Amino acid sequence: MSDRLLAIRLAPLLLLLLLAVAWLAPSVGWLRLASSNTTEADRMTQALDALPPRSTVVVGFDPDLGTYAEIRPTVRALLADLLYRQASLAIVSVTPEGRALALAELDRLQRGTVNARRILDLGFVPGAEAALVRLTRAGLPIEADGALAGVLATDGLAGAQAIVVVGGNDLGPRAWVEQVLPRVPGLPLLAVAPTILLPELRPYLATGQVDALLGTPRDGAAYRATLDVERLDRFLEPREPSRTGVAVGLVVAIGVLLAALVRRGGRSDAARTPPGPRTEAA
Amino acid sequence: MRRATIPALVVVAGLLLLVDYLVVNASLGELAGIVVDAAILVSAGAALAAVAALAVRRAGDLWRRRGDPVGAVLVLAGMAAVLLAGLRPGASGASDPAVLWILNALLVPLGASLFGLLFVSTLLAFQRSISARSREAIVMALAAVAILVLLLPVGGTAGGWLDGAAAWALAVPIGGVFRGLLLGIAILGAVVAARTMLGIGAGDE
Repeated sequence: MSDRLLAIRLAPLLLLLLLAVAWLAPSVGWLRLASSNTTEADRMTQALDALPPRSTVVVGFDPDLGTYAEIRPTVRALLADLLYRQASLAIVSVTPEGRALALAELDRLQRGTVNARRILDLGFVPGAEAALVRLTRAGLPIEADGALAGVLATDGLAGAQAIVVVGGNDLGPRAWVEQVLPRVPGLPLLAVAPTILLPELRPYLATGQVDALLGTPRDGAAYRATLDVERLDRFLEPREPSRTGVAVGLVVAIGVLLAALVRRGGRSDAARTPPGPRTEAA
Repeated sequence: MRRATIPALVVVAGLLLLVDYLVVNASLGELAGIVVDAAILVSAGAALAAVAALAVRRAGDLWRRRGDPVGAVLVLAGMAAVLLAGLRPGASGASDPAVLWILNALLVPLGASLFGLLFVSTLLAFQRSISARSREAIVMALAAVAILVLLLPVGGTAGGWLDGAAAWALAVPIGGVFRGLLLGIAILGAVVAARTMLGIGAGDE
């Protein structure tokens, strides 16, 4: 095996080692994850401040495994914030991946000894958009007991004071805006979504159909930076994403792409170079 | 016959939901509810059928010794483990601790790891495409480098400038192209729907 081939084979392993070291290393002071523009984070805080006390919030939990790591710290912070504000959460998923991740988060909340009366698992409703339409109708088939279950069983989503959508590639806030808001008008819709959904969500944010959106890691970090949930910090991500790790990952990616472009440029120049005297003589 | 039945179903269900959306009428609402429930049942049935088809396909692969035997065994073992954990006597279904353990300790970390590996595989794919002198790959790589630079988590004045530039890039060029694509897809969807409703097929052109 040539040295070059060996280096290529070892490169992914070395990259993982480098990222692991960067992740464990202390963060450098001049690195910052949070956006300097706190408009979106402030908008989310204002939307939460506007909720009535002890409000019922329906959480549409449909992230996907591929992008959940990007939004997970913000999702956990938002759930902790809602619980800190004495809100009751009814969690529902309409995609299988969303349901799997919802179960994992519900299990985490229970392990953190959340007040069980303030969490209602509405489970998985198959059918994606059709399921969202079904949720808007009165008489939801809820098996659980309690005041929270009673309100939603009688009035459907109209019994809630707000909707929080945790979006993913399969189903995001757009489907809720299109299918739910026209049928249950007046409900504020707050959302956390991966950056990939941002282009399709910005118009809804501009029109006010989405009241607040944390759609980039920077906006999420800005929101988390202002958060104070006191004893409920056990529901937050144990550790903020490593700024050094993120920076090293980005620099490696930029370096690899630039190296490939430079190599390609060098080969093109060589191909365009006319044959010299030595070649002619040969 | 098949050609007439499917458009008819689409037209009737679609119009019913549309009229229910526009007209407040209890009977109409009930009827629309039945259609929505039917759609949910069909969707659930389709999901179950897809899972069953996957299991049959993988079992067939093993039986006939074709394809990837290790993958087939893993798929079938995974399905069996979740079914056993959730449906065994005394289990509490999807919220059973054994199912939650499979989700928390296996599915979520494995899924996240696989998607994390996209970082490496995407970079390698870019390298190969650039080496193959693909112009599209070069344009994509240049755009990726520009966006990655804008996303560097730097603080201070430089960070504020990068932050503003990243927000502009997302809102204007990327957002514009993305929304243009979405509009195109929506127009295409409307045209296909209109053709279906009017019963126009490829043979009519």
